Amino acid sequence: MSEKLGFDHVTKVFEGSGSEPDYVAFDDITLEAAPSEFLAIVGPSGCGKSTLLRLAAGLILPTRGQVVLGHKPIDAPPPGVIYLFQQYAKSLFAWRTVIDNVMFPLEGAPRARRAEQRAQCREYLRQVGLAGFEDKYPWQLSGGMQQRVAIARALAANPEVLLLDEPFSAVDALTRMELQTLVLQLWEQRKFTAILVTHDVDEAIFLADRVAVLGARPTSLKEIIDVGLPRPRDQFATREDPRFLKLRHDITASLLARSDGHVASV
Amino acid sequence: MTAADIPDDASIGRTRTGTVRLRPGSRAPGVLLIVALLLLWELSSRAGWIVSAYWPPVSHILAAAVAQLAGGEILVSLAATLRRAAIGYVAASVAGIALGIVLARNRALRCGLLPLIEIVRPMPTPAIIPPLILFLGVDDALKIFIVALASFFPIFTTTFVGVASIDDTLIQTARTFRISSTRMLYGVVLPATLPAIAAGLRTATSLCLVVAVLSEMIAGSSGVGYYLVEMQYAMRPDLMYAAVFYLALTGYALNRGFLALEARLIPWMGKT
Repeated sequence: MSEKLGFDHVTKVFEGSGSEPDYVAFDDITLEAAPSEFLAIVGPSGCGKSTLLRLAAGLILPTRGQVVLGHKPIDAPPPGVIYLFQQYAKSLFAWRTVIDNVMFPLEGAPRARRAEQRAQCREYLRQVGLAGFEDKYPWQLSGGMQQRVAIARALAANPEVLLLDEPFSAVDALTRMELQTLVLQLWEQRKFTAILVTHDVDEAIFLADRVAVLGARPTSLKEIIDVGLPRPRDQFATREDPRFLKLRHDITASLLARSDGHVASV
Repeated sequence: MTAADIPDDASIGRTRTGTVRLRPGSRAPGVLLIVALLLLWELSSRAGWIVSAYWPPVSHILAAAVAQLAGGEILVSLAATLRRAAIGYVAASVAGIALGIVLARNRALRCGLLPLIEIVRPMPTPAIIPPLILFLGVDDALKIFIVALASFFPIFTTTFVGVASIDDTLIQTARTFRISSTRMLYGVVLPATLPAIAAGLRTATSLCLVVAVLSEMIAGSSGVGYYLVEMQYAMRPDLMYAAVFYLALTGYALNRGFLALEARLIPWMGKT
């Protein structure tokens, strides 16, 4: 189950308070993730990547233009669009056990279905490798495990679109690779639309079908690059593929390029 | 970290979240100091280092304390004081938590009410007892009101700050799951604020006892505060000190009880 999600000439301006000038997060961005596509958005730090995802989640509204899910403009958090935050520890409910965190999106449903849903949530936890940790509290787990809880909770919400906001940048390198593989497996099974925001070029190429490159502030879309590497991707084979290295070179060069087109020496 | 995880040595530990926390460590040196001070008191009175009718030896005070307990008079007084403290405390808790949450989440009410609260808050509560007597008399209404007023502020303030400092990520996470505003309040905001609320409630626990005793001293016919003043007039320092001892014991027990409840009901305290 998946849905396309598009940015249609989206401009976001944050109003400055008092004497501060207005801050243009980005200007006139048009970009669309097709149903079941894995789209990565890379850009320098502070270019407003997370703001794009917050718009897609309906958490904030664009100043001009619109964000469209399927054919409907987003003006509030839409059903089926789930956000995976970088700060996993802050997005988990500390007063709930692991299984109860995963149950959270389902608790609006009738109580009669509770037992069935609980079994389903146990299955999600097993899929992310957390079988046996159901009754722990999030703060009793390592960072990588906490992000796995957040991923299981996202699965429980049955996402049509999964928004990934640098979800692996706060864990160590090995855990990051494990989580990348996990997300790819889940995406291949469930076929939701995935939009990943990252500043890690390797990660973007490894995961995505297309990589959108953003320029520095005020941010605009520089180019969209087709990855075209075969799936299923593999942490070794994919990363050692000469095409992978070529893509990494091109995207990194594009990120480092100044606005006048001059390529900085790498 | 639960109490059981704390190693039995006095040191400064780091919790998982990186906040520095003092570990209580072994109690033995502290208890020894208390015993030594009491011995010094006993000695200073018996050896005549301090010659005063108001400085009875500790042994006399202990005897008086036992007699007080046997006669039941101190229990009656304590019960009267605790009743007033408890009623005021509960009223303050309900008002403080409710207003703290509402004001933190509603901009219009915040703009309207916060200046008033900020003006009333720094006022020493005992200062308004004399004028309040004119309106509320000298009976329970006055004392309970004073207790409630004094206890309200720490509870309100910690709740307000607690709600305001909930991490935005948590609220946004909940929003993306499209929960109702009722569930946002009871399922997210309230539990996320509970550790802060508990801190305010704990401060108010000792404060309500202090203010109840104080109000009974100024205007009263029952309670430990009244008893203390009576014994002062009756020149019975041993009974005075004994009553103070029971107050200290009560306050200590309340605090310990509170901490035990906190550890049991809010295991995520300090974890977010």
